[in-house]
Amino acid sequence: MTNLNAIDPAAVAEEAKIENDDVVIAKSAIILRRFLRNKTAVAGLAIFLALTVFSFVGGYLTPWDKETIDPFNIGMPPSADHLLGTSQAGIDLYALTVEGTRISILIGLVVGLASVLIAAIYGCTMAYFGGKVDKVMLFILEALIMMPALLVVAVATSGGGNGLQENLPSWLLLIIVLLVFSWMGTARLIRSLSMSLMQRDFVKAAQYMGIPARRIVWRHLVPNIGSLLVLDITRGVTGAILAEVAFSFIGIGIKVPDVSLGVLIGQATSQVATFPWMFWVPLVVMFLLTGSLAMMNDGLRDAFDPSSGSIGSANRSKTQKTAKKNSK
Amino acid sequence: MSSETTASTERTADSVAERLHIAGLPAPGYAPADAVLSVRDLNVRFNSENGVVHAVRGVGFDLLPGKTLGIVGESGSGKSVTSLAIMGLLPPTAEITGSVRLNGKELLRLSDKAMCKYRGNDIAMVFQDPLSSLTPVYTVGHQIIEALTVHHPKMSKQATEARAVELLRMVGIPSPKDRLKAFPHEFSGGMRQRVMIAIAIANNPRVLIADEPTTALDVTIQAQVLEVLHTAQEETGAAVVMITHDLGVVAGMADDIMVMYAGKPVETGSVDDIYYNPRMPYTMGLLGAVPRVDISEKISLVPIEGIPPNLVHKPTGCSFAPRCPLVSDACLQGEPELWPVGGPRGGANGLPASGTHQAACIKTDSLGAEVDVHEIFHAPAVPVSRFDAVPRLERKTVLELKDVRKHFPLLKGALIKRRIGTVKAVDGLSFDIREGECFSIVGESGCGKTTTLLEIMEFHKDQDGEVTIGGLSNKAASDARTKNAMRKELQMVFQDPTGALDPRFTVYEVLAEPLENQGMDKPAIRKRIMELMKLVGLQPDHVNRFPNQFSGGQRQRIGIARALAVNPKLVVLDEPVSALDVSVQAGVINLLDKLRAELGLSYLMVAHDLSVVRHISNRVAVMYLGKIVEIGDVDSVFDNPRHPYTRALLSAIPVPDPQVERTRERIILQGDLPSPLDAPKGCNFATRCPVFAALPAAKQEKCLTLEPPLEPAASSQAAQAAPDQQFACFFPDGELDADMLVVHGAP
Repeated sequence: MTNLNAIDPAAVAEEAKIENDDVVIAKSAIILRRFLRNKTAVAGLAIFLALTVFSFVGGYLTPWDKETIDPFNIGMPPSADHLLGTSQAGIDLYALTVEGTRISILIGLVVGLASVLIAAIYGCTMAYFGGKVDKVMLFILEALIMMPALLVVAVATSGGGNGLQENLPSWLLLIIVLLVFSWMGTARLIRSLSMSLMQRDFVKAAQYMGIPARRIVWRHLVPNIGSLLVLDITRGVTGAILAEVAFSFIGIGIKVPDVSLGVLIGQATSQVATFPWMFWVPLVVMFLLTGSLAMMNDGLRDAFDPSSGSIGSANRSKTQKTAKKNSK
Repeated sequence: MSSETTASTERTADSVAERLHIAGLPAPGYAPADAVLSVRDLNVRFNSENGVVHAVRGVGFDLLPGKTLGIVGESGSGKSVTSLAIMGLLPPTAEITGSVRLNGKELLRLSDKAMCKYRGNDIAMVFQDPLSSLTPVYTVGHQIIEALTVHHPKMSKQATEARAVELLRMVGIPSPKDRLKAFPHEFSGGMRQRVMIAIAIANNPRVLIADEPTTALDVTIQAQVLEVLHTAQEETGAAVVMITHDLGVVAGMADDIMVMYAGKPVETGSVDDIYYNPRMPYTMGLLGAVPRVDISEKISLVPIEGIPPNLVHKPTGCSFAPRCPLVSDACLQGEPELWPVGGPRGGANGLPASGTHQAACIKTDSLGAEVDVHEIFHAPAVPVSRFDAVPRLERKTVLELKDVRKHFPLLKGALIKRRIGTVKAVDGLSFDIREGECFSIVGESGCGKTTTLLEIMEFHKDQDGEVTIGGLSNKAASDARTKNAMRKELQMVFQDPTGALDPRFTVYEVLAEPLENQGMDKPAIRKRIMELMKLVGLQPDHVNRFPNQFSGGQRQRIGIARALAVNPKLVVLDEPVSALDVSVQAGVINLLDKLRAELGLSYLMVAHDLSVVRHISNRVAVMYLGKIVEIGDVDSVFDNPRHPYTRALLSAIPVPDPQVERTRERIILQGDLPSPLDAPKGCNFATRCPVFAALPAAKQEKCLTLEPPLEPAASSQAAQAAPDQQFACFFPDGELDADMLVVHGAP
């Protein structure tokens, strides 16, 4: 620290390197760094990943599956044979939970991702063309918002959709129905965001170069609302999982023999007193699932929001830096 | 640790005062006793994703009462942060060390609450953006009175109101009594800045800090506001710290100048010292980089290569060394301190009395007045276009506008819209641009320059008036093919280089987009992109970077490269350099000049900076309220302006030359652009015209009822002198109203 004025060749070389590459940190690196700084969010991500892995490989860790009935253990509490106990039909709860978690995550991810994608394209198109196109598309969107989703789900998955039900498993049907009703809010948000993007010079520049409208929407508008899309995907996944649980709970979503967390919870509500494990295990898994997503969402918002105080103050990190230097 | 590092660099200067100062003790007689504000060794650090940014590094100055200190520097040089640190307005996350003394009282470590006693009372600030610094939901009067009552709670209501009226009158707001009840949105930008000044001087502050007070305003309004600042200073006797990037603005106002670079003062001294005898290469470069509006001889500008250093890393040598053409090994041996110019080294104390010429360069003494800055910085020769020799009328026309109009209806009413008027944004515009020529449109904001550009870029059949681009008329532009052909002839460079580039595209993608659209195949595109990168002076291996990895000037070069990709004949430049720093601006202007000569391009430029226009253009049109009021060869219009508006515009531009600034007479136009609703019937400009105001009533009648046509001078002698010049005024030789003329004698 005493001989600051002497030039260290290594330092000069390092500076030159810094001049060239490192000074400008890629936005993705900054976002990742900010996300990692939020410990809650990292925990959320870890829980979510653990649950996903559990739902895929958990099935191999037990000899039982969701269809095999164990006639010797009917309605038994957790034991060495059945880690989480069995249902009153004698099916291993652990196997059921693994299966249910997988279906729930699958529904959540597919609906979350697909609905945001639909919303992005629909919203950007609306914003780009404006005028009449915007008016008609907005009318369709409003009409869908007005439609009572609950009734449509009930009709599609039970009485009305017989033909569909024969060809499709009930979870796929539910995904489709949930998709139809989940993208509208996001689409409106994206429409307004893109409208402000449209005012930016790079969109004008593309127009003046004669780039066709389709290409401008796909190459300029959609990528630039990416951060919002990522946020909306996690929100959409949570929403879809909750919707699935709710629909299955009231008996219009996933149909037996397919299981999901909602189905498990719904079946067990009447016997909370007699078979408490049947109720609490899927409920806890569901809480872990949605809770981890909510924790992640918070961190993602911090990471994407440039005005968040995630950087910290000059004083604190200076002391950290000093400590690092001294330890060298 | 921080104080240690700064101290160790300062250890070279071994004066008693300096050592006492490092120890944190005020040396006896260290600061002049009569200084109202003395700043010592101010250091500010921020945290960023890249590490701790040392934004201000050892700023120190003394401000005597009634004096003006100009702090000049590029963006990121730490000038605004310095002012905010003095005001105690930095966020708590910033680390501030050093000392700021107001009349001998330390301000720096005061709590926010204790600071409130000084802020707005002894020390006040005028901010850059007048549009956002007034609260929209309170009346102007309320906000002025608030400033008064906060510091004088015992003042009676009548007294505060009377004072508010007095203040508004002082800053030149007409009928101040009624305007007290007006809301900020009822004021124009210039008026709001006046109100801000009124609030700032409400309590007769000892120190007034003006942070780029005129940057957001038009030239004519800037002249008004600078005038108001001048009066405010005279009335209150306050010391003023004027922060600006514009060397012209401070030339006429400041007594002392401090040039900042990379968070450090690199040269301080009296105005004359800095402008006529700069001793630091950076200052010399800055002065050479500014185009002059008052000089017709064409010399290329001095470009300062490179970008300011990153303040995350401590500079090992002189912070300017990487960009300095005179750099030698000695420059890298530690950062130079401010030395008195021509005086003994190291002997004087670190901060002598204000006004002493000091420069932070080890070669100070060899940089006398006889050194040519153009040589030092290797300014390129003035490029000559092959078209320059061909008479204008024999060149091909690349763009022709005939009677182009754009009127917007003004509607009112919630359910049933009724038309209450028309905004004539562009009203009967005709001009043409020939090959190899740069044609500029100048005027205040709201005069219709940008609308004109948009009308040309739109190129639509249903437009009012005819636009012909390279022989293609908009009247025949029915299908996409014609339009595409036109897009090949005409490209645009935008004002804001950051906004004009998609942040998610690499440079390669940015440049490839127009080429792909023209149906070029991949290898050809790659070859063309490499050509383009070289053409605009960027390293070809930077094509895989994203725009945010470039500096502003480099981004603008990318924008220019994109415009040139399809080999257009005409490039439309919408304020191409107004978002750039002076030193970078010079490089881009030189590039534009070079490209015009080498590629035989024509430019249509819109700019509000008349110095830039004079430097780069061949012909110029002055617009006022949608009409061209004067058009012609750039030298004849600038040297011999005939229309009173042109004269006023030219006189309002600050020149970076203190002598000229002090003696020049200025035409200060009254008021703002008239609202389009009550546009005058006769001459548009009559409401603000200095000639009109001095005319006898009989002649005024003519201005009010008849619209002056755009035509060459009537007298044959004047017409012969400048055959290309046309203007729209009945009385071009009329006398100017004395009230609107301001001459500052030497202070």
